[in-house]
Amino acid sequence: MIEVNGIKKKFGRKKVLKGVSFTAEKGEITCIIGINGVGKTTILNAIMNLTPLNGGEILIGGEKINKHSYEKITFIPDAIIMQPNMTIAESMQFMADFYDSWNQERAIELLDFFKLKEHEKINSLSKGNRAKVNLLLGLALDVDYLLMDEPFSGIDIFSREQIAEVFTSHLVEDRGVIITTHEIGDIEHLIDEVVLLDEGEVLKQFNSEEVRETEGKSVVDVMREVYQP
Amino acid sequence: MNRFAKLLNFELSRFMKLYLVLVAMTIIVQIAGVIVKTNEYMGRANQTIQEDGLSIAQFVEQYGAMSFLDFTRSLWFMGPIAICAAALIFYIFMIWYRDWFGKNTFIYRLLMLPTARLNVYFAKATSIVLMVLGLISVQLIILPLENTIFKSMLPVNFRVDMTIDRIIDWNYLSMLIPQTFIEFVLYYGAGFMAVLILFTAVLFERSFKWKGILLGIGYIAISGIVMLSPVLSMVFLNHYYLYPLESLGLQIVLGIIVTAMSIWLSNYLLNKKVTV
Repeated sequence: MIEVNGIKKKFGRKKVLKGVSFTAEKGEITCIIGINGVGKTTILNAIMNLTPLNGGEILIGGEKINKHSYEKITFIPDAIIMQPNMTIAESMQFMADFYDSWNQERAIELLDFFKLKEHEKINSLSKGNRAKVNLLLGLALDVDYLLMDEPFSGIDIFSREQIAEVFTSHLVEDRGVIITTHEIGDIEHLIDEVVLLDEGEVLKQFNSEEVRETEGKSVVDVMREVYQP
Repeated sequence: MNRFAKLLNFELSRFMKLYLVLVAMTIIVQIAGVIVKTNEYMGRANQTIQEDGLSIAQFVEQYGAMSFLDFTRSLWFMGPIAICAAALIFYIFMIWYRDWFGKNTFIYRLLMLPTARLNVYFAKATSIVLMVLGLISVQLIILPLENTIFKSMLPVNFRVDMTIDRIIDWNYLSMLIPQTFIEFVLYYGAGFMAVLILFTAVLFERSFKWKGILLGIGYIAISGIVMLSPVLSMVFLNHYYLYPLESLGLQIVLGIIVTAMSIWLSNYLLNKKVTV
Protein backbone atom coordinates (compact mmCIF):
# COMPACT_ATOMS: atom_id res chain seq x y z
CA MET A 1 0.00 0.00 0.00
CA ILE A 2 1.13 3.57 -0.69
CA GLU A 3 0.31 5.84 2.24
CA VAL A 4 0.41 9.57 1.71
CA ASN A 5 0.15 11.19 5.13
CA GLY A 6 -0.47 14.91 5.45
CA ILE A 7 2.06 16.03 2.87
CA LYS A 8 2.75 19.74 2.50
CA LYS A 9 4.62 21.50 -0.23
CA LYS A 10 5.39 25.15 -0.89
CA PHE A 11 6.85 26.72 -4.01
CA GLY A 12 8.16 30.04 -2.77
CA ARG A 13 5.26 31.49 -0.79
CA LYS A 14 2.62 29.50 -2.64
CA LYS A 15 1.28 26.52 -0.70
CA VAL A 16 0.69 23.86 -3.36
CA LEU A 17 -0.12 20.95 -1.04
CA LYS A 18 -1.73 21.69 2.32
CA GLY A 19 -1.69 18.39 4.14
CA VAL A 20 -2.76 15.88 1.49
CA SER A 21 -3.55 12.38 2.73
CA PHE A 22 -4.77 9.31 0.86
CA THR A 23 -3.90 5.67 0.37
CA ALA A 24 -3.51 3.59 -2.77
CA GLU A 25 -3.79 -0.19 -2.66
CA LYS A 26 -2.02 -2.77 -4.77
CA GLY A 27 -4.36 -4.22 -7.40
CA GLU A 28 -6.41 -1.02 -7.62
CA ILE A 29 -6.39 1.96 -9.93
CA THR A 30 -6.44 5.17 -7.94
CA CYS A 31 -7.14 8.33 -9.85
CA ILE A 32 -6.14 11.77 -8.60
CA ILE A 33 -8.42 14.30 -10.23
CA GLY A 34 -8.15 18.05 -10.23
CA ILE A 35 -7.76 20.99 -12.55
CA ASN A 36 -4.32 22.04 -13.77
CA GLY A 37 -2.06 23.44 -11.08
CA VAL A 38 -3.68 21.83 -8.04
CA GLY A 39 -0.59 19.76 -7.27
CA LYS A 40 -1.31 16.40 -8.91
CA THR A 41 2.14 16.09 -10.49
CA THR A 42 3.80 17.36 -7.31
CA ILE A 43 2.19 14.48 -5.39
CA LEU A 44 3.63 11.94 -7.84
CA ASN A 45 7.03 13.63 -7.77
CA ALA A 46 6.93 13.57 -3.97
CA ILE A 47 6.05 9.86 -3.88
CA MET A 48 9.14 9.19 -6.05
CA ASN A 49 11.34 11.50 -3.93
CA LEU A 50 11.83 13.81 -6.88
CA THR A 51 10.88 16.90 -4.93
CA PRO A 52 11.40 17.63 -1.22
CA LEU A 53 8.38 18.06 1.05
CA ASN A 54 7.72 20.72 3.66
CA GLY A 55 5.82 18.30 5.86
CA GLY A 56 4.16 14.91 6.12
CA GLU A 57 5.48 11.56 4.98
CA ILE A 58 4.99 8.96 2.30
CA LEU A 59 5.32 5.23 2.89
CA ILE A 60 5.51 2.54 0.25
CA GLY A 61 4.77 -0.87 1.70
CA GLY A 62 5.35 0.63 5.14
CA GLU A 63 8.80 2.03 4.26
CA LYS A 64 10.11 5.40 3.24
CA ILE A 65 11.34 5.45 -0.34
CA ASN A 66 14.95 4.37 -0.86
CA LYS A 67 17.10 3.22 -3.77
CA HIS A 68 15.61 -0.29 -3.63
CA SER A 69 12.08 1.12 -3.91
CA TYR A 70 12.71 1.98 -7.56
CA GLU A 71 12.59 -1.74 -8.34
CA LYS A 72 9.07 -1.83 -6.84
CA ILE A 73 7.54 1.42 -8.03
CA THR A 74 7.91 3.36 -11.24
CA PHE A 75 6.78 6.72 -12.51
CA ILE A 76 5.61 7.44 -16.04
CA PRO A 77 5.63 11.25 -16.43
CA ASP A 78 3.66 13.04 -19.15
CA ALA A 79 6.83 13.69 -21.18
CA ILE A 80 9.35 11.11 -22.24
CA ILE A 81 12.35 10.93 -19.95
CA MET A 82 14.84 9.15 -22.16
CA GLN A 83 17.59 10.66 -24.27
CA PRO A 84 16.02 12.00 -27.49
CA ASN A 85 18.80 10.61 -29.68
CA MET A 86 18.28 7.07 -28.40
CA THR A 87 16.38 4.49 -30.41
CA ILE A 88 13.56 2.58 -28.73
CA ALA A 89 15.84 -0.48 -28.60
CA GLU A 90 18.60 1.54 -26.89
CA SER A 91 16.11 2.87 -24.36
CA MET A 92 14.99 -0.68 -23.62
CA GLN A 93 18.62 -1.75 -23.26
CA PHE A 94 19.25 1.13 -20.86
CA MET A 95 16.36 -0.04 -18.69
CA ALA A 96 17.53 -3.66 -18.88
CA ASP A 97 21.03 -2.58 -17.81
CA PHE A 98 19.91 -0.76 -14.70
CA TYR A 99 16.75 -2.49 -13.48
CA ASP A 100 16.66 -6.05 -12.16
CA SER A 101 12.89 -5.83 -12.49
CA TRP A 102 13.06 -5.27 -16.26
CA ASN A 103 10.98 -7.89 -18.08
CA GLN A 104 12.24 -8.18 -21.65
CA GLU A 105 9.44 -10.53 -22.74
CA ARG A 106 6.84 -8.05 -21.60
CA ALA A 107 8.74 -5.22 -23.29
CA ILE A 108 8.63 -7.06 -26.61
CA GLU A 109 4.94 -7.82 -26.06
CA LEU A 110 4.30 -4.12 -25.46
CA LEU A 111 6.34 -3.16 -28.51
CA ASP A 112 4.07 -5.37 -30.54
CA PHE A 113 0.93 -4.16 -28.76
CA PHE A 114 1.74 -0.51 -29.46
CA LYS A 115 3.03 -1.30 -32.97
CA LEU A 116 6.31 0.48 -32.30
CA LYS A 117 9.52 -0.17 -34.24
CA GLU A 118 12.65 -0.81 -32.18
CA HIS A 119 15.04 1.01 -34.52
CA GLU A 120 13.09 4.30 -34.45
CA LYS A 121 14.71 7.20 -32.65
CA ILE A 122 12.72 8.79 -29.86
CA ASN A 123 13.06 12.29 -31.31
CA SER A 124 11.50 11.12 -34.57
CA LEU A 125 8.33 9.81 -32.91
CA SER A 126 4.93 11.50 -32.78
CA LYS A 127 3.64 12.68 -29.40
CA GLY A 128 1.31 9.70 -29.22
CA ASN A 129 4.10 7.24 -29.93
CA ARG A 130 6.37 8.92 -27.39
CA ALA A 131 3.64 8.45 -24.79
CA LYS A 132 3.49 4.78 -25.78
CA VAL A 133 7.29 4.40 -25.43
CA ASN A 134 7.06 6.03 -22.03
CA LEU A 135 4.35 3.59 -21.07
CA LEU A 136 6.31 0.66 -22.48
CA LEU A 137 9.41 1.55 -20.45
CA GLY A 138 7.32 1.75 -17.28
CA LEU A 139 5.04 -1.22 -17.82
CA ALA A 140 7.87 -3.57 -18.75
CA LEU A 141 9.22 -3.30 -15.21
CA ASP A 142 7.95 -5.97 -12.83
CA VAL A 143 6.97 -3.42 -10.22
CA ASP A 144 4.17 -3.40 -7.67
CA TYR A 145 3.11 0.19 -8.28
CA LEU A 146 2.83 2.39 -11.35
CA LEU A 147 2.42 6.15 -11.17
CA MET A 148 1.17 7.80 -14.34
CA ASP A 149 0.98 11.52 -14.88
CA GLU A 150 -1.63 12.64 -17.41
CA PRO A 151 -1.08 9.69 -19.79
CA PHE A 152 -3.74 10.98 -22.20
CA SER A 153 -2.58 14.55 -22.35
CA GLY A 154 -2.36 15.98 -25.86
CA ILE A 155 -2.49 12.72 -27.80
CA ASP A 156 -4.80 11.56 -30.57
CA ILE A 157 -7.97 9.54 -29.97
CA PHE A 158 -6.58 6.28 -31.37
CA SER A 159 -3.51 6.41 -29.14
CA ARG A 160 -5.77 7.20 -26.19
CA GLU A 161 -7.90 4.16 -26.91
CA GLN A 162 -4.83 1.99 -27.19
CA ILE A 163 -3.41 3.30 -23.91
CA ALA A 164 -6.79 2.89 -22.16
CA GLU A 165 -6.83 -0.71 -23.39
CA VAL A 166 -3.64 -1.33 -21.41
CA PHE A 167 -5.50 -0.71 -18.16
CA THR A 168 -7.87 -3.59 -18.75
CA SER A 169 -5.14 -5.98 -19.90
CA HIS A 170 -2.92 -8.37 -17.95
CA LEU A 171 -0.15 -5.76 -18.28
CA VAL A 172 -1.59 -3.85 -15.36
CA GLU A 173 -3.55 -6.42 -13.36
CA ASP A 174 -2.42 -7.04 -9.76
CA ARG A 175 -0.43 -3.83 -9.72
CA GLY A 176 -1.32 -0.68 -7.88
CA VAL A 177 -1.78 2.26 -10.22
CA ILE A 178 -1.97 5.91 -9.32
CA ILE A 179 -2.98 8.02 -12.26
CA THR A 180 -3.50 11.76 -12.46
CA THR A 181 -5.77 13.33 -14.99
CA HIS A 182 -8.15 16.16 -15.63
CA GLU A 183 -9.72 14.24 -18.52
CA ILE A 184 -11.70 11.61 -16.68
CA GLY A 185 -13.79 10.49 -19.69
CA ASP A 186 -11.19 8.08 -21.05
CA ILE A 187 -10.81 6.02 -17.92
CA GLU A 188 -13.88 6.60 -15.79
CA HIS A 189 -15.01 2.98 -16.17
CA LEU A 190 -11.56 1.66 -15.23
CA ILE A 191 -10.79 3.37 -11.97
CA ASP A 192 -11.40 1.98 -8.49
CA GLU A 193 -10.50 4.79 -6.10
CA VAL A 194 -10.92 8.48 -6.78
CA VAL A 195 -9.14 11.31 -4.98
CA LEU A 196 -10.61 14.73 -5.72
CA LEU A 197 -8.09 17.48 -5.21
CA ASP A 198 -8.53 21.22 -5.13
CA GLU A 199 -6.27 24.02 -3.99
CA GLY A 200 -3.79 21.63 -2.44
CA GLU A 201 -6.33 19.69 -0.38
CA VAL A 202 -8.18 16.42 -0.77
CA LEU A 203 -11.84 17.34 -1.07
CA LYS A 204 -13.05 13.76 -1.20
CA GLN A 205 -11.76 10.20 -1.60
CA PHE A 206 -14.24 7.53 -2.64
CA ASN A 207 -14.60 4.15 -4.30
CA SER A 208 -16.17 4.62 -7.72
CA GLU A 209 -17.91 1.23 -7.68
CA GLU A 210 -19.43 1.86 -4.25
CA VAL A 211 -20.76 5.27 -5.24
CA ARG A 212 -22.19 3.80 -8.44
CA GLU A 213 -23.94 0.98 -6.56
CA THR A 214 -25.11 2.81 -3.47
CA GLU A 215 -25.84 6.27 -4.79
CA GLY A 216 -26.24 5.56 -8.50
CA LYS A 217 -23.74 8.26 -9.34
CA SER A 218 -20.86 8.28 -11.79
CA VAL A 219 -17.46 9.76 -11.00
CA VAL A 220 -18.37 12.79 -13.12
CA ASP A 221 -21.59 13.25 -11.06
CA VAL A 222 -19.59 13.30 -7.82
CA MET A 223 -17.09 15.69 -9.39
CA ARG A 224 -19.93 18.06 -10.30
CA GLU A 225 -21.24 17.94 -6.73
CA VAL A 226 -17.80 18.63 -5.27
CA TYR A 227 -16.43 21.17 -7.74
CA GLN A 228 -19.72 22.94 -8.68
CA PRO A 229 -21.88 22.77 -5.55
CA MET B 1 29.14 -4.67 -14.45
CA ASN B 2 27.97 -2.71 -11.45
CA ARG B 3 25.69 0.26 -11.82
CA PHE B 4 28.42 2.83 -11.25
CA ALA B 5 30.47 1.39 -14.11
CA LYS B 6 27.36 1.35 -16.32
CA LEU B 7 26.61 4.96 -15.45
CA LEU B 8 30.20 5.96 -16.13
CA ASN B 9 30.13 4.19 -19.48
CA PHE B 10 26.84 5.92 -20.26
CA GLU B 11 28.15 9.38 -19.31
CA LEU B 12 31.29 8.90 -21.40
CA SER B 13 29.34 7.74 -24.42
CA ARG B 14 27.02 10.78 -24.18
CA PHE B 15 29.95 13.16 -24.70
CA MET B 16 32.02 10.93 -26.96
CA LYS B 17 31.17 12.55 -30.32
CA LEU B 18 32.04 16.04 -29.14
CA TYR B 19 35.07 14.69 -27.32
CA LEU B 20 36.39 13.01 -30.46
CA VAL B 21 35.91 16.30 -32.31
CA LEU B 22 38.07 18.00 -29.65
CA VAL B 23 40.73 15.30 -29.95
CA ALA B 24 40.72 15.50 -33.75
CA MET B 25 40.83 19.30 -33.66
CA THR B 26 43.82 19.22 -31.29
CA ILE B 27 45.74 16.75 -33.46
CA ILE B 28 44.99 18.50 -36.76
CA VAL B 29 45.58 22.08 -35.57
CA GLN B 30 48.78 21.28 -33.69
CA ILE B 31 50.29 19.25 -36.54
CA ALA B 32 49.24 21.91 -39.04
CA GLY B 33 50.78 24.44 -36.65
CA VAL B 34 54.17 22.70 -36.69
CA ILE B 35 54.14 22.77 -40.49
CA VAL B 36 52.99 26.40 -40.71
CA LYS B 37 55.40 27.72 -38.06
CA THR B 38 58.44 25.90 -39.44
CA ASN B 39 57.54 27.01 -43.00
CA GLU B 40 57.17 30.57 -41.76
CA TYR B 41 60.58 30.39 -40.13
CA MET B 42 62.25 28.86 -43.17
CA GLY B 43 60.54 31.38 -45.48
CA ARG B 44 61.84 34.23 -43.37
CA ALA B 45 65.28 32.62 -43.17
CA ASN B 46 65.54 32.12 -46.94
CA GLN B 47 64.33 35.66 -47.63
CA THR B 48 66.69 37.24 -45.09
CA ILE B 49 69.65 35.16 -46.23
CA GLN B 50 68.96 36.09 -49.87
CA GLU B 51 68.20 39.76 -49.34
CA ASP B 52 70.92 40.49 -46.76
CA GLY B 53 73.47 38.10 -48.19
CA LEU B 54 73.91 36.31 -44.85
CA SER B 55 75.28 32.86 -44.30
CA ILE B 56 73.21 30.31 -42.38
CA ALA B 57 75.50 30.69 -39.36
CA GLN B 58 75.14 34.50 -39.48
CA PHE B 59 71.36 34.25 -39.76
CA VAL B 60 71.15 31.86 -36.81
CA GLU B 61 73.45 34.03 -34.80
CA GLN B 62 71.41 37.14 -35.58
CA TYR B 63 67.86 35.74 -35.43
CA GLY B 64 68.28 32.57 -33.41
CA ALA B 65 67.59 28.96 -34.28
CA MET B 66 64.03 27.72 -33.92
CA SER B 67 63.27 25.37 -31.05
CA PHE B 68 60.17 23.30 -30.49
CA LEU B 69 59.39 25.61 -27.58
CA ASP B 70 58.81 28.47 -30.07
CA PHE B 71 56.03 26.36 -31.52
CA THR B 72 54.57 25.41 -28.14
CA ARG B 73 54.25 29.11 -27.26
CA SER B 74 52.25 29.81 -30.41
CA LEU B 75 48.49 29.94 -30.79
CA TRP B 76 48.67 26.84 -32.98
CA PHE B 77 49.72 24.81 -29.96
CA MET B 78 48.04 26.64 -27.11
CA GLY B 79 44.78 27.37 -28.95
CA PRO B 80 43.52 23.77 -29.10
CA ILE B 81 44.55 23.21 -25.47
CA ALA B 82 42.64 26.34 -24.42
CA ILE B 83 39.58 25.28 -26.44
CA CYS B 84 39.66 21.79 -24.90
CA ALA B 85 40.04 23.25 -21.40
CA ALA B 86 37.18 25.70 -21.99
CA ALA B 87 34.98 22.94 -23.41
CA LEU B 88 35.60 20.70 -20.40
CA ILE B 89 35.00 23.53 -17.92
CA PHE B 90 31.75 24.32 -19.73
CA TYR B 91 30.89 20.63 -19.68
CA ILE B 92 31.27 20.49 -15.86
CA PHE B 93 28.06 22.54 -15.78
CA MET B 94 26.48 21.10 -18.90
CA ILE B 95 26.78 17.53 -17.65
CA TRP B 96 24.10 18.39 -15.05
CA TYR B 97 22.05 21.09 -16.71
CA ARG B 98 21.37 19.18 -19.92
CA ASP B 99 19.61 16.52 -17.83
CA TRP B 100 17.23 19.16 -16.51
CA PHE B 101 16.89 21.44 -19.50
CA GLY B 102 17.44 19.14 -22.44
CA LYS B 103 14.66 18.27 -24.86
CA ASN B 104 13.70 15.39 -22.58
CA THR B 105 14.13 15.75 -18.83
CA PHE B 106 16.47 12.83 -18.35
CA ILE B 107 17.09 13.76 -14.72
CA TYR B 108 13.80 11.96 -13.87
CA ARG B 109 15.32 8.72 -15.09
CA LEU B 110 18.68 9.27 -13.43
CA LEU B 111 17.12 10.03 -10.04
CA MET B 112 14.80 7.02 -10.28
CA LEU B 113 17.55 4.49 -10.94
CA PRO B 114 17.70 1.74 -8.31
CA THR B 115 21.15 2.82 -7.18
CA ALA B 116 22.54 5.38 -4.75
CA ARG B 117 22.15 8.85 -6.27
CA LEU B 118 25.75 9.49 -5.32
CA ASN B 119 26.69 7.00 -8.05
CA VAL B 120 25.22 9.39 -10.61
CA TYR B 121 27.33 12.17 -9.09
CA PHE B 122 30.52 10.11 -9.06
CA ALA B 123 29.92 8.82 -12.58
CA LYS B 124 29.66 12.39 -13.85
CA ALA B 125 32.75 13.52 -11.90
CA THR B 126 34.79 10.51 -12.98
CA SER B 127 33.82 10.99 -16.61
CA ILE B 128 35.12 14.58 -16.47
CA VAL B 129 38.42 13.42 -14.92
CA LEU B 130 38.80 10.62 -17.47
CA MET B 131 38.18 13.05 -20.31
CA VAL B 132 40.86 15.39 -18.98
CA LEU B 133 43.30 12.50 -18.62
CA GLY B 134 42.37 11.34 -22.13
CA LEU B 135 43.19 14.73 -23.62
CA ILE B 136 46.49 14.85 -21.73
CA SER B 137 47.29 11.37 -23.06
CA VAL B 138 46.55 12.50 -26.60
CA GLN B 139 48.87 15.46 -26.06
CA LEU B 140 51.58 13.14 -24.74
CA ILE B 141 51.18 10.85 -27.74
CA ILE B 142 51.29 13.59 -30.36
CA LEU B 143 54.18 15.55 -28.83
CA PRO B 144 56.85 13.11 -30.15
CA LEU B 145 55.07 13.03 -33.51
CA GLU B 146 55.06 16.83 -33.65
CA ASN B 147 58.70 16.89 -32.61
CA THR B 148 59.54 14.46 -35.42
CA ILE B 149 57.66 16.60 -37.95
CA PHE B 150 59.42 19.67 -36.56
CA LYS B 151 62.81 18.04 -37.13
CA SER B 152 61.91 16.86 -40.60
CA MET B 153 60.74 20.36 -41.61
CA LEU B 154 63.82 22.27 -40.45
CA PRO B 155 67.43 21.60 -41.48
CA VAL B 156 69.60 20.80 -38.49
CA ASN B 157 71.46 24.15 -38.72
CA PHE B 158 68.25 26.08 -38.17
CA ARG B 159 66.89 24.25 -35.17
CA VAL B 160 67.58 23.50 -31.54
CA ASP B 161 66.75 19.88 -30.79
CA MET B 162 65.09 19.01 -27.51
CA THR B 163 63.95 15.77 -25.95
CA ILE B 164 60.27 15.38 -25.03
CA ASP B 165 61.17 15.41 -21.35
CA ARG B 166 62.89 18.77 -21.73
CA ILE B 167 60.02 20.16 -23.80
CA ILE B 168 57.60 19.28 -21.02
CA ASP B 169 59.96 20.39 -18.29
CA TRP B 170 60.71 23.78 -19.86
CA ASN B 171 57.13 24.67 -20.34
CA TYR B 172 53.77 25.27 -18.67
CA LEU B 173 53.13 21.74 -19.94
CA SER B 174 54.77 20.52 -16.75
CA MET B 175 51.57 21.64 -15.00
CA LEU B 176 49.46 19.48 -17.30
CA ILE B 177 51.87 16.58 -17.45
CA PRO B 178 53.29 15.97 -13.97
CA GLN B 179 56.81 14.60 -13.76
CA THR B 180 56.37 12.56 -10.57
CA PHE B 181 53.63 10.46 -9.05
CA ILE B 182 53.31 12.90 -6.13
CA GLU B 183 52.81 15.78 -8.59
CA PHE B 184 50.23 13.70 -10.43
CA VAL B 185 48.29 13.05 -7.21
CA LEU B 186 48.51 16.71 -6.15
CA TYR B 187 47.58 18.30 -9.48
CA TYR B 188 44.83 15.89 -10.41
CA GLY B 189 43.58 15.58 -6.84
CA ALA B 190 43.18 19.35 -6.83
CA GLY B 191 41.42 19.15 -10.21
CA PHE B 192 39.04 16.45 -8.99
CA MET B 193 38.30 18.50 -5.86
CA ALA B 194 37.54 21.55 -8.01
CA VAL B 195 35.11 19.50 -10.11
CA LEU B 196 33.34 18.28 -6.95
CA ILE B 197 33.11 21.85 -5.57
CA LEU B 198 31.52 23.05 -8.82
CA PHE B 199 29.15 20.05 -8.86
CA THR B 200 28.08 20.92 -5.31
CA ALA B 201 27.45 24.51 -6.39
CA VAL B 202 25.31 23.27 -9.30
CA LEU B 203 23.32 21.05 -6.94
CA PHE B 204 22.75 24.02 -4.60
CA GLU B 205 21.31 25.93 -7.55
CA ARG B 206 19.17 22.94 -8.63
CA SER B 207 17.88 22.57 -5.06
CA PHE B 208 17.19 26.18 -4.08
CA LYS B 209 17.02 27.96 -7.45
CA TRP B 210 17.82 31.71 -7.02
CA LYS B 211 18.87 31.33 -3.39
CA GLY B 212 20.88 28.33 -4.54
CA ILE B 213 22.96 30.49 -6.89
CA LEU B 214 24.08 32.56 -3.90
CA LEU B 215 24.64 29.44 -1.82
CA GLY B 216 26.64 27.88 -4.66
CA ILE B 217 28.82 30.97 -5.10
CA GLY B 218 29.22 31.13 -1.32
CA TYR B 219 30.28 27.49 -1.22
CA ILE B 220 32.86 28.01 -3.95
CA ALA B 221 34.19 31.07 -2.10
CA ILE B 222 34.38 29.27 1.26
CA SER B 223 36.12 26.28 -0.32
CA GLY B 224 38.61 28.63 -1.98
CA ILE B 225 39.30 30.45 1.28
CA VAL B 226 39.76 27.17 3.17
CA MET B 227 42.17 25.88 0.52
CA LEU B 228 44.14 29.10 0.42
CA SER B 229 44.06 29.69 4.18
CA PRO B 230 47.68 28.53 4.81
CA VAL B 231 48.94 30.86 2.08
CA LEU B 232 46.63 33.70 3.14
CA SER B 233 47.68 33.42 6.79
CA MET B 234 51.32 33.56 5.75
CA VAL B 235 50.76 36.62 3.56
CA PHE B 236 48.41 38.61 5.77
CA LEU B 237 49.55 37.60 9.25
CA ASN B 238 53.17 37.28 8.29
CA HIS B 239 53.39 33.96 10.12
CA TYR B 240 55.86 31.57 8.59
CA TYR B 241 55.61 28.83 11.19
CA LEU B 242 55.49 25.90 8.83
CA TYR B 243 58.21 24.22 6.82
CA PRO B 244 57.31 23.77 3.14
CA LEU B 245 56.63 20.06 3.66
CA GLU B 246 54.35 20.78 6.63
CA SER B 247 52.60 23.45 4.59
CA LEU B 248 52.06 20.92 1.80
CA GLY B 249 50.73 18.39 4.31
CA LEU B 250 48.30 20.97 5.68
CA GLN B 251 47.17 21.80 2.15
CA ILE B 252 46.51 18.12 1.45
CA VAL B 253 44.51 17.72 4.69
CA LEU B 254 42.43 20.80 3.84
CA GLY B 255 41.89 19.44 0.33
CA ILE B 256 40.64 16.15 1.75
CA ILE B 257 38.29 18.02 4.12
CA VAL B 258 36.86 20.19 1.30
CA THR B 259 36.45 17.13 -0.94
CA ALA B 260 34.70 15.15 1.81
CA MET B 261 32.47 18.14 2.57
CA SER B 262 31.52 18.47 -1.12
CA ILE B 263 30.62 14.79 -1.34
CA TRP B 264 28.62 14.86 1.89
CA LEU B 265 26.72 18.01 0.89
CA SER B 266 26.05 16.73 -2.62
CA ASN B 267 24.73 13.44 -1.24
CA TYR B 268 22.43 15.38 1.10
CA LEU B 269 21.20 17.68 -1.68
CA LEU B 270 20.65 14.83 -4.14
CA ASN B 271 18.64 12.80 -1.65
CA LYS B 272 16.81 15.46 0.32
CA LYS B 273 16.65 18.74 -1.54
CA VAL B 274 17.04 18.44 -5.27
CA THR B 275 13.92 18.85 -7.36
CA VAL B 276 13.20 17.74 -10.92
